Amino acid sequence: MKRPFQKLTYLYLLVGLGMTLFLVHCGLTALTVTVPKEAKANETATFYMHSGAEPNIEEPNTYTTQLLAGIMVPKSWNARRNAVLTYTSSKGNGTLRMIPDSETEPVSGLSWHEAAKKMFGIGPNLIDDFEWIIYRSTQSFTFVNNEHETADLSFDVKVECNVGSENMLVSLGFYVGSSIENLRPEDTDYKKFTFSDPLEIIDGEGDLIDFVNPQLGTVQPVKSLDNDIVTLTFDAGVTHTDLDDMDEIYLSAKAFDAAGQLLDEISTRDDKTKLTGVGGKKFILDLWPRGYFDIQKESRIAKLEYFYTDATGTKKVGYGNTDEPFTYTFRCE
Amino acid sequence: MKRLSHWVFTVLSLITLSSCEEETPKIVTDETAKDVTGDWKVLKLTRNGEDLSKRLDLNDFQISFKADGTYSLSEQLPFVVNDIGTYRLSDPQYPFGLILQPQGDAAEVQVKFQFPIIKGKRQLSLSFSLGCSSNTYQFDFERQN
Repeated sequence: MKRPFQKLTYLYLLVGLGMTLFLVHCGLTALTVTVPKEAKANETATFYMHSGAEPNIEEPNTYTTQLLAGIMVPKSWNARRNAVLTYTSSKGNGTLRMIPDSETEPVSGLSWHEAAKKMFGIGPNLIDDFEWIIYRSTQSFTFVNNEHETADLSFDVKVECNVGSENMLVSLGFYVGSSIENLRPEDTDYKKFTFSDPLEIIDGEGDLIDFVNPQLGTVQPVKSLDNDIVTLTFDAGVTHTDLDDMDEIYLSAKAFDAAGQLLDEISTRDDKTKLTGVGGKKFILDLWPRGYFDIQKESRIAKLEYFYTDATGTKKVGYGNTDEPFTYTFRCE
Repeated sequence: MKRLSHWVFTVLSLITLSSCEEETPKIVTDETAKDVTGDWKVLKLTRNGEDLSKRLDLNDFQISFKADGTYSLSEQLPFVVNDIGTYRLSDPQYPFGLILQPQGDAAEVQVKFQFPIIKGKRQLSLSFSLGCSSNTYQFDFERQN
């Protein structure tokens, strides 16, 4: 009785191996994207992904799949609700729908969105306030061997999305893939991804959030209130400043309420205001604004203005290495 | 002789069966009520998964839960409540939340509660947001007494 079962197992293994070999050459061409240099806040911007299929399949097999497309955008764009993805191709035009969170990517065991974030990261952006969102075409496509030699198998995915209300400089992420595949790290045929050149969102609210360029001063988390714990970073390696080669860096800061009234100012140079060196010419200070500044229980800090100084307080560095202070506005949206 | 062995068999069977009846329910309902009373000191603090404990001085921060249902905080630090008050667990045996009611404040505050044993020691783990809901903090405490 054992023999027929063993034979069947070998047959399945052989078919599985054979299928892998047949399909391994059925891939996608390189992904390129068209992204404008700037877009107006609160308006809908349009981005395009361009790619194509190269089916090298052992005949008489065919390869049937659905198109996957993904975007990586700032969380503040609320793209899960706002983005609309459509495609055009010689095999027909159609729409893509967001893959449900409950559906897991087989290799990572995570949702497709989380798996994409883990696999592709945030590209050239330096501050992480992004989400990857993966979509799947509602229609499927069937390819035959070498179809691309006689037919145009290129396709374009159009992404329309409201770019939110905030001023920012950001690099966006894009992905195309095949629904019957997965995000296994070693695969380079079925998953194509790229990051755009910087896109600037203009005429919006608040200070410019520069995700792309190394900053002299940054605050993490990007969105916080005065009751959060925030981390201020001074990166002396970004450019030459008056604080070059200083071992000790201090924070000199003012806290304002929503009406612009000064609540407190701390410009002493002591353990409380001293930043800690974390290597690579970077210094950080973690602080809880409501405890750091002396403010009334009912007061709310809406904004910080601050400089970094040396141990004497005579040398100070502001926003963009100027005499203007760095600013940070407390907000969640 | 046959009769005796029959009786012995019957008595032994009854003993075995009756002992089974007593044991089975014990195993099912043996979950003890969670006792959080005591003084708890911060072991670890994370913000959005990033460990801040080595960067912030948390040595003096302690939360105390008393048997009379009140709690107190040792020092003003970023925490979900700032004033003393009363506490209760969402469920005595299987709690998923710790509910704090600060004095003079009508609103209750519920935080996510975990009570794991790590390296043989009971830990109290509380998760919540302090400012924006997108920022999650987790305090891991160790009992002091």
